[in-house]
Formats: sequence, structure tokens, C-alpha cells
Amino acid sequence: MPQMPKIATWHLPVPDVESATYWQGAREGKLLIKHCNACERHFFYPRAACPFCWSVDTSWRESSGRGNVYTFTVVHQNDLPPFRDRVPYVIAVIELEEGVRMTANVEGCSPDDVRCGMRVRVAFRDEARSEDDVVSLPVFRPEG
Amino acid sequence: MPGIKDRVAIAGVGATRFTEHYEKDHEDLICEAVDEALGDAGVARGDIQAIWAGIYYQFTGLGGPAVADPLKMYGIPVTRVENYCASGMDAFRNACFAVAAGVYDIVLACGVEKITDQGSRGLPNVREGAHPFLPPASAPAMFAMSATRCFDVHGWTKEDLARVAVKNHANGAKHPKAHFRRAITMEDAVNAPEIASPLGRFDCCAVSDGAAAVVITRPEIARTMKHKDDFVVVKANGLSVETANPMYKPGFEYLGFPATQTASRAAYDEAGITDPFEQIDLAEVHDCFTITELLNYEDLGFCKKGEGAAFVRDGLSAPDGPLPVNPSGGLKSFGHPIGATGCRMITEVARQLQGRAEGVQVKDPKIGLAHNLGGPGAVSSVTILGRNDTL
Repeated sequence: MPQMPKIATWHLPVPDVESATYWQGAREGKLLIKHCNACERHFFYPRAACPFCWSVDTSWRESSGRGNVYTFTVVHQNDLPPFRDRVPYVIAVIELEEGVRMTANVEGCSPDDVRCGMRVRVAFRDEARSEDDVVSLPVFRPEG
Repeated sequence: MPGIKDRVAIAGVGATRFTEHYEKDHEDLICEAVDEALGDAGVARGDIQAIWAGIYYQFTGLGGPAVADPLKMYGIPVTRVENYCASGMDAFRNACFAVAAGVYDIVLACGVEKITDQGSRGLPNVREGAHPFLPPASAPAMFAMSATRCFDVHGWTKEDLARVAVKNHANGAKHPKAHFRRAITMEDAVNAPEIASPLGRFDCCAVSDGAAAVVITRPEIARTMKHKDDFVVVKANGLSVETANPMYKPGFEYLGFPATQTASRAAYDEAGITDPFEQIDLAEVHDCFTITELLNYEDLGFCKKGEGAAFVRDGLSAPDGPLPVNPSGGLKSFGHPIGATGCRMITEVARQLQGRAEGVQVKDPKIGLAHNLGGPGAVSSVTILGRNDTL
């Protein structure tokens, strides 16, 4: 059971009609991305229409969760809770094997060891908004 | 299409000091800047037929009344323009187009931002529709992504970034209206605390309050105003918009900003500039972070891709170099009240072309460039100005 929040949880995503499936998948340990059935391309972030061909004929696919760090920064200054207790932390642009990109924290290694091109794999960090409302945030860890 | 080249003139400019104005609100700031610009042109408030005002944050002010109320200039069109950090230059662009269209004779472009007293460090965190799932990264973190890539691909270092900070602090130290008026050393810059690495404290621009204003008219009317024949001619403006979410764009390289590339090409085409390095005599560019200035050199065509670090290292952008960049101190040292910056750049380039940039005057400039960038490379505006004898 994740630790109950002692502070505001404004930073946690609120699932809506377009993202509920994504966040439910995350709760089950799956990283879901959208696939366009018309032009056969993957896209991220999830939304109703394909950003390449505008088709609304889209479906969910489970990503392998594997990718590499395209670029990143190590954040040393952030005075907003809860981030102020987490510095230094890594924000990275991750390129997944399916070709889509997303931003996420890289954990499980020293920030000094993160490199462009580093192979990473998705993991999920649970954070609670309340006792029965837990959000699983995708993060990435060095592979192997 | 006739465009705007040589059909629009700058008759007067004004700006507040850019700093932490804890004793002033946005109304004080806009009045101070506008009154200086009107006085510089030798016109009265009643002579102004329309206003475009660059304001980014809603807490600075909403709608036309944000500037109409403090100025008590009622009954004329006043339009608030918001386009990220390029809001100010977009206000200038719209004002120029209105004059070129022949709709108005004398108009005002201005910009103002009041950022301090908002209860946060750095830029206030505004959720303006970035990622629908996760909070956006801070501005330093977004631009740090480019620095990391340039370190990896071009082999640039923190010293390469520091040279921009040292140059711009040395320039700003000489400008009476700059926010940070103190020179720094390479050691100061390289050893400063990290903000979002590889960007440290001296890689990030000042967070400032301030306002700037420009009186815009046609050349034949400008001749009858206070500066007589010594007005400044607008040669071109380019504006380009890209995605505000480059982090989700496959293929985005983080090695430059496409919006600046397309905006500058549009401006160069209209102004007749084929070799920017040779033809432009000074530039005020958007150095929100040191990495941004290095990438601006490349995106604006001052040098080739990958050569940005060498451009400053070789002194090419120094105040006494062949293409002085940010002789005012730039955003780094002069400061960056978001909506005001675009108009502030225009005031600086205009004063340089008129030979009255006291303390920071570069040698005999004829053609100047101003470059405003907004969001994570989402919006760019490039303006080319010329001395009166280029008409």
C-alpha cells in the first residue's frame, strides 16, 4: 500500500474520458499507447484522433515498455511540494521502441549515471490521492 | 503583396528599467514606458489611434483595459496580444501591419509584465494546456533538454554556455536600465548552483518586472515628428508557430528551434537579406537561457549548425565583434518581463540604429535584428530594422 499523502496532490493526473483507459492500464502494470488503424502509426500522448491523419479510428496497444533516453535534465531546484523533497531528480524524454516519445522520471540509478541513448524499461510508481484512489505513474529504470 | 518593407517607421521608443519593481504594479510600469515613448516621438496620448499590448500572464492584466485603464486612453481599439514569451513582438507586428494597411497613421505597440509578488520563485507555474496527464517541466528543465543534446551531439560544455553569460553580464553592466548590472567571471558561471542541469544559475535569465513601448507610423509622418529624418525603418517581420509539445513530436532533435528558422527566413526574404552574418550589424536575440543564444546563432543563420559555441568563443558576437549580439545584456542580464521583452528588443535596436544607445552603442550599425522566442520553441518572431538612410 503506497504511503498516504500528507500534502496536496495537485500534481497527480486526474483521469478523464480520453485517458481513463491509459491510467487503468498503468494500475495493471501496462504502458498503453494509441495506434491509428487508418495510417497504422502509433502516437503519444493518447487522444481521440490520430495527430498524423486525423482519423478517429484508433485503438489501444500495449507498449513493450522498452526504449532509450533521448535527452534529459537533472532538476536541482523546485520548491513546490512534493518535488522539493525529491531533488535532484531526472526528467527525461524517452523514445519507446514503438517510435513514440514521452516524458518521465528516470529512477533506479544515480542522476549522474543517466546518459543520452541509455536503454531503459518502464516501471510504475504508485502515489495515493486518497486511501482508495491510487495513481500508478510510469517511470523508467536502466535495463539490465 | 506589397508587404511592410520601408512602409512603416519607428518614431519613438520607451522602456522602464527591468528589475524587481516591488513598489510598482503593471499600471505604473505601462504608464512610465508609454509616456517615455510618446515623449520621445513628440506626440500626445490623444494622437494615438490604436494600441496593441503584449501581456502573457492573466494576473498582469486581461483584455484591452489592462493598458487602456492606466493610460486613460479610451474609445480607441486596444488589443491584448498573447503569444508566450513572443507576445511583445507579436504586438509590434500587428501594430506595424495596421499602419502598412493604411488603416491608421499613428499607433502604439507596447508590452508589460508584473511577475514579482506572485508568491513563487522563478516563473509562476501556469497550466496552459500542455500535457493533459502530467505537469509540464519548468522552463529551465525544458531548455536544458536542448543543452544535454548539444553536449552529446556537438561536444559542447558548460564553459561554452558560460561564455554567453559572461558576455551578456558584461554588456548589461553598462546599461542603466538592465536588471543585473554586474559583470561575472567564467568561474562564477561554471561553479554556480545547478538549476536544471546542465543549466546552472547563470545560464538562466532574470525574472523581472517591466514595460516597453514603441510609437509606430509611416515614414512620411515620422519626418514631421521629433526625430525628424532620424527615424527607424521597419524592413520586415516574420512570425512562426510550432507545437507547444515538442517532447511528444517524433523526430524533434532539440538541436535548434524550427520556429526561429522559418520566422527568420520569412523576415530575410522580405528584407532582402541573403547573408545574415554579413548584412546584419547587430542583433538582440532571445537568450532566455545561455543554450538558447547559442542555438539562436545557428537558427538565425549567423553560422552553421553545430558552430554556435565557436561563434561566441571566437568573439564574433562580442560588442566589438563583427556581429554584436545582445549589446543590451539580453534577457540574461537586462531581464525578461515576459510580455514586455519583444518591444524592449525593438527599443534597443532602434536606439542603436539612431546612434543613441548610451554606454552600449555598437559601431555604426545600419541594419539590426530583433528575435523573440516563446514557449519551448513554440513561437518565434524576427524583426529587421534599418537606419533612416536605408530607405
